[in-house]
This record gives sequence, structure tokens and C-alpha cells, in this order.
Amino acid sequence: MGIKRIKWLRFRIILICIVFFSSFLAIFVKGYQLQVLKRDELYKRAYMQQRRNITQQPRRGNIYDRRGEILATSVDVKSIYAQPNRINNLNYALVNLARVLDTDPHKLEKSMVSNKSFVWLKRKVFPDQVEKIRKLEIKGIEFVLEPRRFYPNRELAGHLLGFSGLDSRGLEGIELFYDDYLKGKIGRFVVGRDGVGRNLFTEKGKDSFFDGGDLVLTLDKGIQYIVEKRLKKLVQKTRAKGGTVIVMEPQTGAILAIANQPDFNPNTFWSYRPSNFRNRAVTDTFEPGSTFKPILFAAAMEEGIVKENDLFFCENGQYEYHNKVIHDVKKYGWLSFKDVAKFSSNIGATKIGEKLGKDSYYIYIKNFGFGNKTGIDLPGERSGQVRSVRSWSNVALGTASFGQGITVTALQLVCAVSAVANGGNLMKPYLVKEMVDHKGQITGRMYPEVVRRVISEKTASRVVSLMEEVVKKGGTGSKAAISGYRVAGKTGTAQKVDTATRKYSKDKYVSSFVGFVPADEPRFSILVVIDEPKGVPYGGTVAAPLFKEIASEILYYLGIPPKVEIVKKESDHKLYAGSKVGRPLTDFVFEEDQDWNLEGRETLFPNFSGMTIRQVLKVAERMKIVIEIVGSGRAVDQKPKPGTIFEAGRKFQVKFQPSSA
Amino acid sequence: MIDRRIFKNIDWIILFLILLITLIGIINLYSATYPVRNSHGTPLFLKQIYWLMVGFVLMVITVLIDYHVLERLAYPIYWVSVISLVLVLFLGKEISGSHRWLQLGPISFQPSELAKFVLIIALAKYFHQDENPDGYMLRELVLPFMIIAVPFVMILVEPDLGTSSLFILVGFVILLFLKVNLSSLLILAGALVASSPFFWYFLKDYQKNRILTLFKPSLDPLGAGYHIIQSKIAVGSGGLFGKGFLEGTQSQLRFLPEQHTDFVFSVIAEEWGFIGSGMVLILFIFLLLRGLSIAMNARDKLGTLLAFGVVTMFFWHVIINVGMVIGIFPVVGAPLPFVSYGGSSLITNMIAVGLLLNITMRRYIF
Repeated sequence: MGIKRIKWLRFRIILICIVFFSSFLAIFVKGYQLQVLKRDELYKRAYMQQRRNITQQPRRGNIYDRRGEILATSVDVKSIYAQPNRINNLNYALVNLARVLDTDPHKLEKSMVSNKSFVWLKRKVFPDQVEKIRKLEIKGIEFVLEPRRFYPNRELAGHLLGFSGLDSRGLEGIELFYDDYLKGKIGRFVVGRDGVGRNLFTEKGKDSFFDGGDLVLTLDKGIQYIVEKRLKKLVQKTRAKGGTVIVMEPQTGAILAIANQPDFNPNTFWSYRPSNFRNRAVTDTFEPGSTFKPILFAAAMEEGIVKENDLFFCENGQYEYHNKVIHDVKKYGWLSFKDVAKFSSNIGATKIGEKLGKDSYYIYIKNFGFGNKTGIDLPGERSGQVRSVRSWSNVALGTASFGQGITVTALQLVCAVSAVANGGNLMKPYLVKEMVDHKGQITGRMYPEVVRRVISEKTASRVVSLMEEVVKKGGTGSKAAISGYRVAGKTGTAQKVDTATRKYSKDKYVSSFVGFVPADEPRFSILVVIDEPKGVPYGGTVAAPLFKEIASEILYYLGIPPKVEIVKKESDHKLYAGSKVGRPLTDFVFEEDQDWNLEGRETLFPNFSGMTIRQVLKVAERMKIVIEIVGSGRAVDQKPKPGTIFEAGRKFQVKFQPSSA
Repeated sequence: MIDRRIFKNIDWIILFLILLITLIGIINLYSATYPVRNSHGTPLFLKQIYWLMVGFVLMVITVLIDYHVLERLAYPIYWVSVISLVLVLFLGKEISGSHRWLQLGPISFQPSELAKFVLIIALAKYFHQDENPDGYMLRELVLPFMIIAVPFVMILVEPDLGTSSLFILVGFVILLFLKVNLSSLLILAGALVASSPFFWYFLKDYQKNRILTLFKPSLDPLGAGYHIIQSKIAVGSGGLFGKGFLEGTQSQLRFLPEQHTDFVFSVIAEEWGFIGSGMVLILFIFLLLRGLSIAMNARDKLGTLLAFGVVTMFFWHVIINVGMVIGIFPVVGAPLPFVSYGGSSLITNMIAVGLLLNITMRRYIF
């Protein structure tokens, strides 16, 4: 080993050492950079990828009608997603998927090529499509269960129910108003995961999840069906722009049905124009016209400024009033207050309004709930417009007397008239009766709520009588009469304001009828509003017949039997008794304010059949006669027979039996 | 034949270093395979201990045989190695698309691991005579070029880019160590640069991807870039002091690919931090320095070249493996000596250590 070789070797070794050390230096520098300088960032990345947020979609609650019929429910359907990076034959996949899903392959390609590992292909697909796609056997196409909202009755109550969108979010109607309750709470879990994608443990958020609650509506599916069917037919027949019918329980404010035309099917809401979604009963305002008059009458009678038989001169159809001419449809001379109502004289109403005064009238209008939202549990409600009384001209008072210059919602109007029907209480309307949470416990129950008393019971029943006159022969609403039942109502025919000229249109009308049955003990009140019917526009000819159709069918549906009316021509006294049609009467009602004193008069012995002992005794007291009571329960027989001429000093006997017998 | 004097010169430092590194390797292997410990069969760390014992026996045998027999046996061994590489191409077990393993009875064996070592022997044999004072001329380099090229090409078609590129790198450093005529060196370097696009053309797509993703892992975060990203996250999240034994979330939650073989060092880095993994690297540096000193103090040029070849082999394995783990080298399959799981690699390395001991023990025997 020579010196030269040693020197050569040393040089090489140094050279190699330099290579070695610089290599290791690079590694140490890089290691320092990763482990010291970028440690926090990389630590966070490790933490993030070892955790996964998982959301668990709650089941959206059902909506039932008052009898427990399902109106809206959630069913699990499949959604399809793609993992583009796992698809082997993209072209095959694109062509076939596009064919089955009926979309454009190029559009599909765009979404697939985007460098994602997860792409929704189609959400909430019907089972037959799922099966077709499954048969294609494409790797990277996966299915997942998602709840889809389903409305088994299609269009039925669509405006009330509304609908919910893809991510189970309420978009309209009850679905929107009660969204928080229906949707439940999404579960968001942080789950530890490993590199092969398995979930290992739940870290937090487990107990925050729960399913949505159910709602029970005051709505009656049967009534809703009747109303929708009849309304749709009429709107088609009259080629009207639209229409609304509300059926309400006057004593409680519970909504039994709300129907609108045009309608839509919430299962496929996306195929309709958004204007179809509008629940016109609460979102649209209109000038009510004569259907508003019961409010004027109630106010005038409550204030004691008119009596049924007071006479008003109706100017033979033309009344010059503060430089305006007010018209009646027919020419009338002197009319009693009762007839002003019956014939719906605008001139008569104007004069009553004048007598009442605008300040007083205004208070009643506001008290009856106009100009304010009713507070019903539906979205999008409007308040209508009642201008402040200080800005009322004399003309405004006049027109307001027959329902012009004021805008109302259909719901406000039916609520106001229901207040007359139930004896004077304005009720808050409501649609949801019960809320039942995911555990099956009732968490909310709505009770009837009196907003305020607007008129006395006595005034109310006097207004009811006026409204009954309207439906009787010769009245504007005679086509609403239903034989065997006492019907109270009021017609309305309002000219619409032409949006272009801002004047009242000559050919566009809102035809309406509001009423309730039976008048003496109303089970439901109905408002019919037909928007721009073609042909004869009168409320009495368009809306009143629909009221009759709907009311008759509901009466039959609810099993409310008719009452036979016995009228003795010679006197004005009327007595009512139950007939044997259908089931035995549960109630016998008589008019409180009639004069039952029979002294010195010739009258007929009443039919007591179906009455309770207490009721018979009450009649006896008023008639100032003595009746012998035999048995207990309901009246089944009597001596003498009904209709016998009454003779003072005669013995009377009524036999009773328990009603179940 | 065995001179008693040689045992006086046993290099305890090398033995101690190797023992320490293999111990660390086995402990780390226990942690790296902890998440799959319930699978059937012998645990991998235990298997590695068996391999170590086999390797130790072979090392002792290597020590006992004077390395000068290689003067005679180098080329025959080389041909045996080449034949085994041919066999693996045709009979090799296919694992994830490449033929690297040869089944010998119950054990499978990777001929390319041994071929690296055999290459060193063959080159040492060729260069061990004194060169002329002007350095090697180009024509004298043709044969060594062939010696490198034959196994290189055969391993490349297995395909195993990592191992085959090691042949080039080892050969390159040995060339650096020799005295090569300057103009010849320049021509060689020029030829290498000129042919690189040619090699690029022959690379498979996934191999190109591995190289491209080194520079931009986000190109393909779930594919070729996945290994680099996950490994960097593991290393970086370990921080200065590490997360502790069995506490490495990246490895324990199986985010790391190949965590017991090629990416075993990222487990060390994650669990023992910059300090711990730095210590392991320093152990390797000591081993390399000790190897260089053996090369320098060898009795003859054959010893020097053999020792230097072994050091070079270790060097490249460490640099490529760790460089790959921390993202400064492409993801090519190169195990970390004594630490990565793998019998062929461990046994080859133990034999190589035996050769080092062999050389240093015989340095004073003339």
C-alpha cells in the first residue's frame, strides 16, 4: 500500500463523506421543517382526517287531520350518488345513466369529471328507477336511503299543508310554519375513523338527535274533500280566475277546511307555477262588498240606533251622496231595516252607516278583526287595509257601509261572521289541534281562544235573524236555502279595482257568500269567494248555490238531521221540534226572544218531541201553562197532539223516555 | 484456515450498532403492526426476530470465510444471482402486479435484494487490481457497465423501479470512488443525461406518477400522492418529542400505507418525534462512518472496494427510504436496512455486515 494510494483513498473518502453528510443534512433539515416548523399544521391535518362528521337525518313528523287520517308523511326512498374516481368505464356509465335518469349525458359528464369523490346523481328516486340503475351494475354508483315527503291525498289541502324541499326543510304552508317542530333535530356526530374508512367511536353529539313531531289538524279530510271538489267544479264552470272556500267551527275558530283554486299537488310542487302555492284565503285581500254588511248591522243594532222595523227610504235606486251616486241593483222605495238586509240595499246601508257615524263604525270594524292579522298558524297572512278613521271622507263612510274601500282576507271575513254566529265572540282561528312529539307524548294542545267579545249575545241573534231573512224567499241569498235547515247568510258582489285605471271595473267582480248552518245553533260557517266569474257575477247566483251544495253535503256528512218547521200563518210565532229523520235529536232549541205568552191569543200546541224535561218546562213557563211530566229522558209522546188549537185551562201531558230506548 | 488472531480484531462497535438498530427496528415493528395484531399467523415482529436469527448465523458464516475467496467466486456468484433474477421473472409470485418473490419451499425470497450485494462483489472483483495512473478509460468501463446493466434491466422489468435504480446509484458512487479518466467521466455523465428521457419513456404510468407527485402531491391526493401526504402528516404530527410508543394515530389508525415495510420510518418519526428519529439516523451515520473507516483501513483494494460497496448500499437505502418518507424522494420501494420488515433484506444486510467484520478482522493479516 503506497503513500500515493493512501492519499488517493483519503481524498476519495473525504469526497464521499461530503456527499454523505450533505445528504443527511438535507434529511435533517426537511425533518426539522416537518416536525418542528410545520408540526401544528400537520398535527391538525392528522386530527381532521381521523375524525368524520356524520349527520343523521331525523324523520319528519306526520300531519294528520282531526280524525287521524294521514295528510303528510315521510317514506324512505333511495337517493343515488356517484363516486367518479371509482367508475371504470365512464362512457358506458354516462350513456346508461343518462338514459335511465332521462338527462343529458354531457351534463352528467360535467358533474362527474369534477374531481370529487362524491356527486349526487339524483335525490329521492322512485323505486323503479333505482332498480333499473342497480341492474346496470356500475361500480362507483351507490344508493343511500333518504326520507321523502309524501302527500297521499295529492292536491287535497295542498295550500294548507304546503310542502318541504329536498333537505327536509318546510317551504310552504304548515310545513313551513311548523317546520321546527316537524323536522326534529339533525344528529351531528363526530366519529373517529381509521384509514380504511371504518368508524371507530363516537366522540360527541350523540344525544342531540331526535325525530320530528306529528301534528294533528283541526281540518276534516272529508269536509276538505267536499269543499275542494265543489269549488273546483264551480271555478271551471264559471271560468273564474280563482276561488276560495273556508269552513270554520264558529264556536271555536277551528278550521275545518280551506280550499283554493287554482291548486297544486305538493308531491310534485316543482312542476307548478309558484302563484299556485298561494293560500289565497290568508294571503290575498279583496274588497268584500255586501258580505261585509253584517258587520254594519251588528254595529248599528249593538249601538241601538236601528230596530228591525225601522224604515229607510232607498231613493228608488239612485242616491246622490256627497257628490257621488250610490246605486242599488233594484229600485226600492221605503224598506224596513230587515228588508235592507234581505235585499242588500246599498243605499239603505249607507243611510244606516250615516246614522251610526264613522267613529263608531270604525271601532266595530277594528273590533271584528279587520285590518289586523287573525294570527292563524299559517305563513304569509296579510292584514288587509282599513284606513284610519281620521282620513275617512263622508263618501268613505258610505262606501264602507256596503264593503267598499276596505280590503279583507277571506279568513278575516269568516271569522267576523262566525263571531255573529256564535253569539258575539271573535275567535282566533287555528289549524293545529295537537302536537305529538317523537315519543308519542302530546306536547301542545290548542284550545279555542276568544279574542274579544264584539257584540252582545242579543245583538248577535238579531243579526242572525236578519241573515236568515237574506236566505229566505225573495232575499238575495235565497239560492243558499237548504230545505229542513235554518240557514243564515249574506251575499256579496264587489266590483274589483282595475289595476290599470285604478277605478272600479265594469266587468270584473268578486262574488261571495258567507253564512252558517243551522242558524240557531251553527255547526259550521262557510265563506265562498269566487274571483272574476264569467257571466252573471252576483253572489246570489254564483256563490250562494255553491254554499248550498257544500253546506248540504257537509250536513249529510256530519249527520246533522233537518228540523221540521211548523208555522202558523195567523201568527208570527214559530215553534220547532225535531223530526224523526236520521237519529233522535240531541237538542231542541227555541228562539229566546219570541213572545211565548199565549194569553188571549189562539195558537197551536207545540211539538215537544225530542225535548228534555227542562226544555219542556221552560216552554211551559213561558206559555204560562202547566204540563204533567211522565217518565224521564226525551219527549216521545204528548197530549193533546201537536198542532191542536190551544185552549186555556186544558190539561197537558208529555211522556218522556230515555233517548237510548 | 481460520487464524485465531482475527478474533482479536472483531469490530464490537459495528456489532453493537447493528444490535441497537435491529432492536429499535423490532420494537417499532411491534408498534407498526399493532393495529393488525389480531390477524392469524405469527406476528410480524416475531417473524422478523426469526429472520434476524437466521441472518446472524449467516453473518457468522460470512465472517469465518476469508473474503479473498471472492476473488475466485465473485463471477460464479454473480451468474447464480442473474439466473435467480431470470427465474423470478418466469416463476415469481405475482404480488400487486410485479414479480419479485421466488418461492423456495415454505419461504419466499426476493432475489433482487441479494443481487444488490452480489453487484458489489462483482464490481469489487473487477476493479480490485490497481488501475493505471490516468484512471480508467471508457473501454475499461464497458464490462462493469454490463455488470450493472444486466440485473438492472431484469429488475426494472419485474417491475421494481426502486431496487433497480439503486443499482445505478451504487454503481455511480463506486465510480466516484475509483479514479476514472476525466474525459471518460464527462462522456459517461453526458450519456446518462442524454438517455434519461429515454428511460422516462419506458417508465410505467404509475411510476411516472410517483415521481411527479413528489413535487406536487396534491395532483393525486388519493392515488400516488396519498402515500407522501399521509407519511408527511405522520412525520410532522410527531413533532419534536413524538406521540409515544403505540400512540401514533396515523399508524395505529392505519392511515399510513406500507407502515411496516417501506414507510416504517414514519412510524418512528410519529411516535418518537424529531429527537427519536434523529437518534436513529445518527446511529446509521455512525454505522456508515465505521464502514468507511473499515474501507479505508482494509488490507487491500479488494477489501476497500467491498467495504465501500456495502457502505454505499446502506447509504442509499437509508437516504432513499427516509427521503421518501419525508417527501424528498419519489415513492420507490426501498426498505430501511435492519428496520423495515422483510427477510430477504434483513438477511442480505446481515451478510453484508458479516463481510464488513470479515474485512476489518483480517486487516493485519498479510
